[in-house]
Amino acid sequence: MIKIEEEIAINNENKDKPKILSLIKFYLLPGWRVTEFSEQEYEIEKIRSKRRFFRHLLTPLTIVGTIVILSFVFMGIFVPWLTGYTLQELVPPSIPGLPYKLPSPNHPLGTTRSGFDVLARMLWGARTSLLMAILPTGLAVGGGLILGVISAYFGSKVDYILMRIVDIIYSIPTLVIVLILIQILSLNLLEMLMIWGAFAIAGNLRFMRSLVLQIREMLYVKAAKTGGALKFKVMFSHILPNALPPMILTFFGQMAVTMLGMAALAFLGLVNAQIPNWGQDIAWSSIFEENVLSFLIPGLCTGFFSIAAMLIGDGLRDAIDPRLKI
Amino acid sequence: MKKSTNMVKYLIKRILMMIPMLFGVLVITWILSQAMAINPLRSEINLWDMQIYYNEMERLGLNDPIYVQFFNYFRDFFTGNWGESYSGRYEGWLVTDIIISVLPRTLEMILIPIFIIPIIAVKLGSTSAKNRKKKKDIMIRSVALIGAGFPSFWIAILLQYLFGRILYEGTFFEFDMGIYKANNVLLDPSFPDIIPPISSLTMVVMLFFLMIGGFYLIFRGNKLRKRDEPSTRNYLLLIILGMLICFIGIVPIMIYLNTYGTKFRLLDSIIFNEPLYFWDTIGHFILPALSITLVSLAAITRQTRSSMLDVLNQDYIRTARAKGVPEKEIINKHALRNALIPTSTLIIVGIGSLLLGTIFIEYIFEYPGFGDTFFTSIMSGNIPLINGCVMVATIFLFSSNLIADVMYTIIDPRIIYT
Repeated sequence: MIKIEEEIAINNENKDKPKILSLIKFYLLPGWRVTEFSEQEYEIEKIRSKRRFFRHLLTPLTIVGTIVILSFVFMGIFVPWLTGYTLQELVPPSIPGLPYKLPSPNHPLGTTRSGFDVLARMLWGARTSLLMAILPTGLAVGGGLILGVISAYFGSKVDYILMRIVDIIYSIPTLVIVLILIQILSLNLLEMLMIWGAFAIAGNLRFMRSLVLQIREMLYVKAAKTGGALKFKVMFSHILPNALPPMILTFFGQMAVTMLGMAALAFLGLVNAQIPNWGQDIAWSSIFEENVLSFLIPGLCTGFFSIAAMLIGDGLRDAIDPRLKI
Repeated sequence: MKKSTNMVKYLIKRILMMIPMLFGVLVITWILSQAMAINPLRSEINLWDMQIYYNEMERLGLNDPIYVQFFNYFRDFFTGNWGESYSGRYEGWLVTDIIISVLPRTLEMILIPIFIIPIIAVKLGSTSAKNRKKKKDIMIRSVALIGAGFPSFWIAILLQYLFGRILYEGTFFEFDMGIYKANNVLLDPSFPDIIPPISSLTMVVMLFFLMIGGFYLIFRGNKLRKRDEPSTRNYLLLIILGMLICFIGIVPIMIYLNTYGTKFRLLDSIIFNEPLYFWDTIGHFILPALSITLVSLAAITRQTRSSMLDVLNQDYIRTARAKGVPEKEIINKHALRNALIPTSTLIIVGIGSLLLGTIFIEYIFEYPGFGDTFFTSIMSGNIPLINGCVMVATIFLFSSNLIADVMYTIIDPRIIYT
């Protein structure tokens, strides 16, 4: 106790002393730091690292990817103002036009097999397709994040049970189980997305667990523990933020995969016919007919969305870890 | 020597572990498929004569309580009787017969991509990593992005259009090989189209493995003979034993092949000497195989490229360059072997899931293979067929995982299993 008081006293004296003396100490004593100066240095370093991050992030490919995804999001939000068609006019019970008509002023991109407008279906499809890509991925990555931290940090019994569940999910062919479960639940879209996300948790959990097992041994976590931080606080305010960047990368990578997977399920006719989406559009049109655009447009949309997601993932990886050059 | 015995122990442990896991997967799928909201015999319903439907229900044991059905199914399952198909194209067939006749068609479609994909993908990935940010790299990267980004079924339909419509109408001569639809094999084969009984099939497979053992004995004996030490003079016994096993094994296998064929159409047309049928079969699976190749090529190329770039930044590559090792040797020996460790997982897991990934391709090309059968069985609630197909797919998945773990030790000798 006495020593600490002495130190505080010395520090107070230092403030009053002229700067030359502190400079001499700075040069002569190893490890000596002027508090004000080091604070400034820290701030500058922080700003510089932020700038470096953005400089790495702002490559042309990443910008293109961001613009593409933002334009799809724009489409999804402002559909009713972009087209004259309502959703009810674009789903099976109503049959408005002739099948496979070529582009005309009435139908800018022609019509599909059942005579629906291709452009309107594409725009309305953006809404569901984005939901189908983002919701399961968010569920999978979020679930993997939280469960992975819990599994790795608590260890022993919790870890054992969670990892056995992951093993079981890994050993079953997932696609088959999803197909069978869709048959049981009879084509409800939201439940389907939930199932897809729940199965995708397993891979993320395993990845997150391996990350946390590395971070747990770091010095700052031990310091927080010895400082008397609560378990919950160590887990979610010390470990989680440091494991976040790789998980953000997997989010973008998986968004592309989920987009393709859901499009495939819709192509097989496993999504409710009352909800337009791009995968269904591909199934409901044929390239061998007159209007080729009815087939090309939804496929191109799906492809561009997933490529954009992959580009953003690559750009983020460059920015987060400049050693790994992509 | 010690490492190899460890490996054998590890393999035996893994294979024994597979059995309860397979059983667990089968129980889960059986219960789930019972819960499906589909009447498997709805094609039998005839309102004028419902007695047919009731008789069929009684015959297949669908009127029994659920636990009796469960017990009956698993009792039959372990004796080799996997039930019979309720409906669809193979109505009334035994499930084992369906799988025997359908699985080889998919396997022969997959087999060429399996061997081609890793070779091409690793080559492409390493070349694009070698000259980064140059013309070659940009081209390979963009093609890989397109292959990974666009849906596989969409690409497959585009290929179908290219070969079925544009090449057919755009050329002056008739270019119709009928390859855009995979199932119209027009010719009648002269070789036997009988399905072998499962007992003889298992016998022949066991004899085949025995023959491999015999070849191993001959190889071992030959090695001892070359060493020529007085203590290892019993090599002659080994060689004679191996040759005996081979001779015993080869006779039933030849008889089997003559009566039933291999069920692989390519091999059959070679064995029974039908060149026209051979080319016809190749023409019908070349497009599905091509679309599978394109799609799975992309992911592996991307992975190889990124891990290769990671490795090329390491210190030991700089050391090798400073030492004066030629650039070709650096890429092929120093960098590629280390870059392959993360890539090999992707390759082999991808191959394991390829059997199920063919569902979409076979659905588009109307290829009567495993994926198509599987999909229709799920859609029509054909419970025994679903279970049989899940069993086969799971065995494929597990064995590919096992092969991946064994491959690790070959690629990265630091890994030792205990």
